[in-house]
Amino acid sequence: MKKVLLKDSLKEIKNTYKRFLSILLMAFLGVGFFAGMRAASPDMIDTIDLYYKENQVYDIQVLSTLGLTNEDVQAIAKLEDIDKVVGTYEVDGKLEIEKKELITKIMCVEEVNQPILLEGELPKNENECVVEESFLKKNNKQIGDSIKVEVEEIQNDEGESISYFKQSKLKIVGTVKSPLYISRDRGTSSLGSGKIDYYIYMNKENVKANDIYTNVYIKVRDREKYTTSSKKYEDYIARIKEEIESIKEERQIARHDKLVNTATQKVEEAQSELNRQKQAAQNKIEKAQQKIEEGKAQIEKAENQINTNQKQADIQFANSYHQIQEAKKTIAENEKELVIKEQETIQKFTELETQKQNLQVQLEEVANSLTQKQNQYHQIKDNPMVSEEQKQALIVEIQTLQQSKQMIEAGITQIEQGMIEGKQKIEQAKIQLQSAKTELIKQQSQYEVKKKAMDSQIESAKAEIQKSKQELQEGQEELIKNRKEFETKISQAEEKLKDAKAKIDEIENPKWYILDRYGNTGYNSFIQDTRSIENIAKVFPIVFFLVALLISLTSMTRMVEEQRTQIGTLKALGYNKIQIASKYVIYASLACTIGGILGMGVGFILLPKIIWLMYQMMYQMTEIVIRFQWGAGGVGILWISLCIIGATIYAVFKELVHTPATLMRPKAPKMGKRVILEKIPFIWKRLSFSQKVTVRNIFRYKKRFLMTIIGILGCTALIVVGFGIKDSIRSIMPNQFEKVFHYDMQIGLKNDLQENQKQEYITKLQEKPEIEEMIETYMTSNTAVYQEKEEEIQMIVPKEELNGMINLVDVKTKETVELKENEIVITDKVAELLGVKQGDIVILKDRNEKERKVKISNLIENYVSHYVYMSKATYETLYGTTYETNVLFTKNGSISEEQEENLVMDMMEQEEVASISRTSSVMEMLDDTMKSLNYVVIILIVSAGLLAFVVLYNLSNVNISERIRELATIKVLGFYDKEVYHYVTRETVLLTAIGIVLGLVGGYFLNYFIIGTCEINMLRFKKVIEPMSYGYGAFITIGFTLIVNWVTYFALKKIDMIESLKSIE
Amino acid sequence: MSYIEFKNVCKKYKMGEITIKALENTSFQIEKGELVVIVGPSGAGKTTTLNILGGMDSATSGRVIVDGREVTNLKNKELIQYRREDIGFVFQFYNLVQNLTAKENVELATQICKDSLDPEEVLEKVGLSDRKNNFPSQLSGGEQQRVAIARAVAKNPKLLLCDEPTGALDYKTGKQILKLLQDTARKENMTVLIITHNGALAPMADKVIHFKNGTAEKIEINENPIPVEQIEW
Repeated sequence: MKKVLLKDSLKEIKNTYKRFLSILLMAFLGVGFFAGMRAASPDMIDTIDLYYKENQVYDIQVLSTLGLTNEDVQAIAKLEDIDKVVGTYEVDGKLEIEKKELITKIMCVEEVNQPILLEGELPKNENECVVEESFLKKNNKQIGDSIKVEVEEIQNDEGESISYFKQSKLKIVGTVKSPLYISRDRGTSSLGSGKIDYYIYMNKENVKANDIYTNVYIKVRDREKYTTSSKKYEDYIARIKEEIESIKEERQIARHDKLVNTATQKVEEAQSELNRQKQAAQNKIEKAQQKIEEGKAQIEKAENQINTNQKQADIQFANSYHQIQEAKKTIAENEKELVIKEQETIQKFTELETQKQNLQVQLEEVANSLTQKQNQYHQIKDNPMVSEEQKQALIVEIQTLQQSKQMIEAGITQIEQGMIEGKQKIEQAKIQLQSAKTELIKQQSQYEVKKKAMDSQIESAKAEIQKSKQELQEGQEELIKNRKEFETKISQAEEKLKDAKAKIDEIENPKWYILDRYGNTGYNSFIQDTRSIENIAKVFPIVFFLVALLISLTSMTRMVEEQRTQIGTLKALGYNKIQIASKYVIYASLACTIGGILGMGVGFILLPKIIWLMYQMMYQMTEIVIRFQWGAGGVGILWISLCIIGATIYAVFKELVHTPATLMRPKAPKMGKRVILEKIPFIWKRLSFSQKVTVRNIFRYKKRFLMTIIGILGCTALIVVGFGIKDSIRSIMPNQFEKVFHYDMQIGLKNDLQENQKQEYITKLQEKPEIEEMIETYMTSNTAVYQEKEEEIQMIVPKEELNGMINLVDVKTKETVELKENEIVITDKVAELLGVKQGDIVILKDRNEKERKVKISNLIENYVSHYVYMSKATYETLYGTTYETNVLFTKNGSISEEQEENLVMDMMEQEEVASISRTSSVMEMLDDTMKSLNYVVIILIVSAGLLAFVVLYNLSNVNISERIRELATIKVLGFYDKEVYHYVTRETVLLTAIGIVLGLVGGYFLNYFIIGTCEINMLRFKKVIEPMSYGYGAFITIGFTLIVNWVTYFALKKIDMIESLKSIE
Repeated sequence: MSYIEFKNVCKKYKMGEITIKALENTSFQIEKGELVVIVGPSGAGKTTTLNILGGMDSATSGRVIVDGREVTNLKNKELIQYRREDIGFVFQFYNLVQNLTAKENVELATQICKDSLDPEEVLEKVGLSDRKNNFPSQLSGGEQQRVAIARAVAKNPKLLLCDEPTGALDYKTGKQILKLLQDTARKENMTVLIITHNGALAPMADKVIHFKNGTAEKIEINENPIPVEQIEW
C-alpha cells in the first residue's frame, strides 16, 4: 500500500464527504437496525434470565390437586440434578378496602422467587406483610397501615376445617415487586370477580396449613449455566421434568392412599361409634319397652288383684254381715232361752230345795243312826265280848251308814252345788249374752269401719292404677317418639357415614402438574413476545438491510465511474489493479466499518432500549441488560461490507479492463435512445416536451430507475407491513369475539356436581332476567396429534345446538358448518400447525393419554386459541361415555358493565360455579397483550420511514451528481429553479409512484409472509390489510419523498454552473 | 450609450484566506450586432467576463449594462430571467443533453423563451435539418456544436456568448462553426461574443478585446472584418 494512495483515499473521503456519509449512513442504518432488532430479543431474554437468576426464580414447579407433602418434597429432592426443592403456600384471599372487594394472591417469602424489596422491609413476624407499590397508591395506604385478609378455611387431611392463617390482620411493612408477576396480569381466582388484583407476601410462620403445600418450587442444579428459554435450558428442564414425571405416579398414589387411609380409618371409627351408639340406644329402647310391658302386666295384675280383693272383700263383708245378723238372731234366741232357763232353774230350785230338805231329813236320820251305831260300836269295839262278827256287822253297818250319810251329804252338796252352778250358769249365760251383745255391737261397728276403709282403699288403688296406666301411656308415647328420633338420627348418621364412605371412593388420585417457567403467565407472554420480536427481526431487517445495501452499492459504483480518469492515470503511472482498487476498497471499507460499528453500537443500545421501554408498559422487571451480540452485529457488517466492497471491486475492475488512454478520455456519455413509447405516436404525441424528457430519462438510467423503485418499494412495503401487522393484531379480538364467539360469559360448573344439582342451577340461571340465552356444553382440553405433531386443543361438545353463540364458519366456503355424525370440525390455525386438511383423520388424545381417531369434516374460522367441536352423539360414541354439561355459555341482555360485574360476583358466590370468564374482560386482557406487538410495529414504521428518507435522499444525490452537467446546462439555458427542480423530480415522482404501487403490492405479500412467521401459535392473524394501511404506506412514503424533494430543491439551487460546465477533468 | 456597457468591473474570488482577483477594473463597450472576439491567455479573465456578462456570475464591483438594463445587481430570479431571455450560450464541450435528439435539444431552449424561433428552421439554418432527429452521440463534434449554436440562437437572445466554441474541434470543423457564428451575427444582426485563445481569429471580429492579467488590456476595432473562410491559422 502506497502512502500516497492512502492519503488519496482519505482526501477523497474529505472531498466527497457527502457520499461517504451517505454510504456510512446506509451501513449505519442497515447494520444498526439489523443488529439492534436481532439483539433485542436476546437482550430481553438475557434480562429476564439475569432477573430470574438473581431472584432465585424456580425452574420447575409442581402443583397437585390434593396438595403436596414433605415426603413429596423429599422424593423430588432425591432426584438427580435437583438443587433445591421448596414447598410453599400460595392462596387467594379477599381484602375489603373502602367497601371495595379486592382479590389478592398471598404468597410466602421463600428462598425461591424472592420478592425485590422496594421500600421498607420484608415481613419478619407472622402479622406482617409486604404489598405492591401500586396497591398503596391506588388504595391510599401507607407502610405501617394494617389490612385484613380473608381466606377461606381449608380442610386438613383429617377432614377438619381449619383457618389458613394464624393472623388475618396484617401490618404492611414494605413494598416489593415479585419476579413471578412481571406482567400486569395477576391471574385468575375462584374468588370474587375471578380476577386477582394484587399480590401480597407474608411470613411463612403465619400459615397454619399443616405442611400441606400448595406449590413446590424446584431449582435445578445447572441453572446458572444456561440461559432461560434457550434450547439447552429447555432440553435440560425437559429432562428433569421427565425425571419428576417418573416419580409422579408413585407420589400421587402415596398421597391418595394416605388420604384414603386416614379417611377410611375415620369412617371406620365413626362406624363403630355409630354401631355402639346404635346398640346402646337400641338397648335402652328395648329396656324401656320391657319396662312398659312390665308396667302393663303389673297394672293388669294389680287390677286383677283389686278385683279379686274387692270380690273377696265383698264376700267377706257379706259373710260378716250375715254373721252379725245370725249373731243378732242367736243372741235374741239365747235371751229367750235364758229367760226360759231361768224360769226352769227357778222351778228346779224349788224342787231341789224340796229334795234337799228331804235329804237333810234323811241325813239327820242317818246321822242319828250312825251316831248310834257308832256309839254302839264304840261300845262294842273295846268290848272284846261282842263277837267279831257282830263287831264286823256293826262296822259294816256303820260303814254303810257312813256311806249313806256321805251319799246324802254328797247329794245335798250336789244339789247345793247344782243350784249354785245353775245360778252361776244363768248368771254366766247372762254375762255371756251380754258380752255377745257387746261383741256384736263392736263387730258391727268394726264391720262398718272396715268396709269403709276397704272401699276407700280400693278406690284409691283404682285411682293409682289409672294413674299408672296414664303414665304408662305417656311412657309408651315417649318411647315411640324417642324411637322415631333415634331412627332418624341413626339413619342420618348412617347417611353421613355412607357419604363419607362414598367420598373416600371419590378421593380421586391427586394429579400432579409439573410446570416449567412457561406455567407463569408473565414469563410465558414475555417469552412469546421475545419470540415475535425475534421472528420480526428475522425478516424485517433483512429487507431493510437489502435496501440499504442496494443504495450504497449504487453510490460506490457511481463513484468509481466518476473517477474513471484518475483510475486511468494511475494505471498509466504503473500502479497495479490491486493498488488502484485499494483506494476504493479502503473508502468503501471505511464507510462500511465505521457506519457498521456505529450502527451496531447505536443499534445494540438504542433499539433494545426502545423496545424495552415500550415493553415496560407491559412488564415490570428491571433495567434491560444490553449485551453486544457480536454475532448479529458481525453478520450485519460482514454482509454489508461484502456486498459494498464486492460491488466496488467489481466496478473498479470493470473500468480497469480498459487501457489507460481510454480511461483518461471522458467516458462516452451514455447514448440517447428512443424509447418504446415513441413508437406509439398516439401516446408520445400527447406528451408534453418535459414529459417526453422524463420518459426518456427514466428509460435511460435503468439502474437508477430500478434502484429507486426497489428502494421505494421496500420502504412502502415495510410501512404497509408495519400497519398491516397492526391491523392484523387489532382485528383479532373483534374477529374472535364478534364473528366467532357471541357469548358474553363462559361459566364453568364444578365437576363434582350431581346431574340434578346441575340442572337445578341451570334452570335457576335461565330464570335470571340478565341472562337472555344460554347453551350447555361439555368442554375439556385434548391433544390433537397428526403425524408426530401435537397441539393442545380445547374440545367443545354442545348439548344441543350452538344457537349462534359460537359461529362455526368454514374457512373456505364461509358457510356455516353443521356438526356431522362421527366427524369433527377443528379451527384452521391448529390444522395448519398440525398440517391436516379437511377429510384427514386426526388423533385426539385425552388427559389419560387415550387416543381416538376421527375424521375432520371442516376447518373453521377462529382467531384465538385452538378448538375442536363435535356433536354430543359423536362425543358419546367416540369417548364411550355419557355427555355431561360442565360449561355454560350465556348471552346477556342489554346490561351495563357494572350490572354484569355484579352478576358475576353474585354467581361466583354460588357453590355450583367453578369459574366465570367474561368476554369483555378476556378481550381487555388479550387487548393488552396485543398492544405490546404494536410497539414493535411503531419501531418498524419509524425505521421504514427513515429508510425511505435515506434511500430517496441518496438516490436523489446520485441523480444530481450523475447529471450535474445536464442540470448546469439547463440552468444556464435559463430554467428557473422550479423548472430545474421539476425537470429532475418529475422522474423521482414517477419512480416513487411506481415504487409505491409496487410497494403496496409487495407489502401485501411481505405482510402475508411476515405474519406467517411472527404469528403467535395460539393466534390466527388475519392476513388482510386495511385499505387505510395502504393509504398510510403510500402517504408516509410520499411524505418522505416530499421532504427529500425539498432538500433536493436546495441542492439544485446550489449547483455551480460554472464549475460544472468547466471542461471535463 | 452602447448596447453593452462593461464598466470598471472587478471580480474577486475568496479561496480560503487568499483572495484571487479574476477581473480587475475591466471596462469595454459592445454595440448591437457586433461580432466581438475576446482573446488572451489562460487565466486572463476571459471566461469570468463571459460568465458575468451571461448572468452566470456576478461582479464584485462595477457595472454591467445590457441593452440599457443594469445586470450587476439583479436578484437570482432576475438573473435567471436574464439568461433565459437575453443570453445564448455556446460551450467548448457543447453540453448537449445526451438524452435528447438534436431537435429536442433546441426545443429544450425554445420552450422556455417568449420570442423563440422555430427549432426546425434554426436547425435548417445551421445545416442540420436532416440530422434533427439524431441523438448527440450519433452526431460528430461539429454537428453537436451546431446543435449547441442552434439551441443558443433559437432563443433569439440579445447576446450570444461562445466560450472556446472550436476548442474541441478540428481545424476544418472549427472554421465551419466560426463561419456559422459570423453569419449568424451578420444575417440575424445578433450581438455575438466569442472567447478564444487563438489570436489568429481576431480579424473576423468587428471588435477585438485583448485580455491580460485580469483586465481588458486593449480594444481594437476592425473596420473591415475578414470572413472566416479567408482566415488561415
